[in-house]
Amino acid sequence: MEVYQSLVAVEPLTLIATICNLFVQLYIIKRFLLDKILAVLDARRKAADQQIADAQKAREEAAAIKETYEQNMLQAKAQAESILENAQKTASQRSESIIDDAKAQAARIMDKASAQIAMEKKKAINDAKDEISDLAMTIAGKIVERELNPEDQQQMINRFIDKLGE
Amino acid sequence: MEMSINGARILFTIENVPILGTVHITQTLVVSWLVMLILSALCIWLGSGLKVTNISRKQAVAEMAVTSLIKFVHGNMGEGFDRYIPLVGTIFATSVVSNLISLLGIWSPTADLMTELGWALVVFILITYHKIKSSGIGGYLKGFLDPIFIMAPINVMSELFTPISMACRHFGNILSGTVISALIYGALTAASYGLLGLLGSVKVVAIFLILVGGALFWFGRKKGSKKMKIPGIVLAVLGVLGLLNSLGGVFAKFPFLAVGIPAITSFYFDWFGGCIQAFIFCTLTTIFIKQAAGD
Repeated sequence: MEVYQSLVAVEPLTLIATICNLFVQLYIIKRFLLDKILAVLDARRKAADQQIADAQKAREEAAAIKETYEQNMLQAKAQAESILENAQKTASQRSESIIDDAKAQAARIMDKASAQIAMEKKKAINDAKDEISDLAMTIAGKIVERELNPEDQQQMINRFIDKLGE
Repeated sequence: MEMSINGARILFTIENVPILGTVHITQTLVVSWLVMLILSALCIWLGSGLKVTNISRKQAVAEMAVTSLIKFVHGNMGEGFDRYIPLVGTIFATSVVSNLISLLGIWSPTADLMTELGWALVVFILITYHKIKSSGIGGYLKGFLDPIFIMAPINVMSELFTPISMACRHFGNILSGTVISALIYGALTAASYGLLGLLGSVKVVAIFLILVGGALFWFGRKKGSKKMKIPGIVLAVLGVLGLLNSLGGVFAKFPFLAVGIPAITSFYFDWFGGCIQAFIFCTLTTIFIKQAAGD
């Protein structure tokens, strides 16, 4: 025969058992599902945080490398400019010194040449003087040799002047 | 036709247990253990083989359930009550499985008031603990004299009725579902016997019904009108069932009308009601504890 409780029955055993069941069930759910899932969620969050931190770090490193590179580039540029400037300076200095040297040399050559010219001139004048005196001597001797008439005298003076002109 | 609505079946009776006296091992107890087994197996299955990345579909479902549970508790109680997440989850899961197990034709433990009362007592103890913790034992006792001392009995009653109302709300809804299902089954069975028996005893009417129904269906199909097709099918099926009934034997005893139709009411009372009551119980649990803890 089947025995039933009434629709609303007070049964202490069921009540106590239900409370005990609740706590046992709570432990099982917590131990086998909730804690495990929470651990996985936590691990995933940590992994995501780690990845974000890594990415941030990589970005910072890249930025630092870029900055160093740019600085290096700037330095290199400055260096190149200074080298170029130096080279230009040296070149201009050298060209000036070469020009100066050339001028000095030219001046020296000119001086020498003018001195030589002056000497040559003097020598020529001396030679001329010598010749003139010789000529005068010769003329004087000739004048002495023969009687001089005015025509001859005139002729002689003209010849003398012509010779002088040569 | 006789129909009786009872509580849980008593499987064993043990006399003279110390303190408790006569105790009954009821269906409620046995089925609640079955529910525990189901839930524990589900937990172990869902909680096994978890991975951080590249998760399986099973794990995604488990994570979604846990995440929505945490969201639910946070939404109702705010942060700082995380230690009640397992309790709320346990009550919800146990309640839902207990409510839905009736779909398998098994006695639902939540149709026994003692089950809900047990949960409600646990919640009541937590409420009282938080009230005493937030305002001290003096403040807690003084609260019963608020606003004037004459109100004390009413305040005590309102305090005690918190768990009772929680338990009864859940119990009543599940029980009413069970009762209404039983009533509908009974009524449909009776209607089936009455109507089909009548049709079976007057075969001319049954054959007439088949003919009228067939004609209606045929014209309905020709005109493409559902208004004629559906009554045609209903009438023809009724006529066929009446004729079957007249054959006697198994056909005469089978309650044809009780097939299919109760599924509609069962959808509301068992599925919807079962889930919504578990949800309401958990919402009340969280809100009452939050209120008791104060701000």
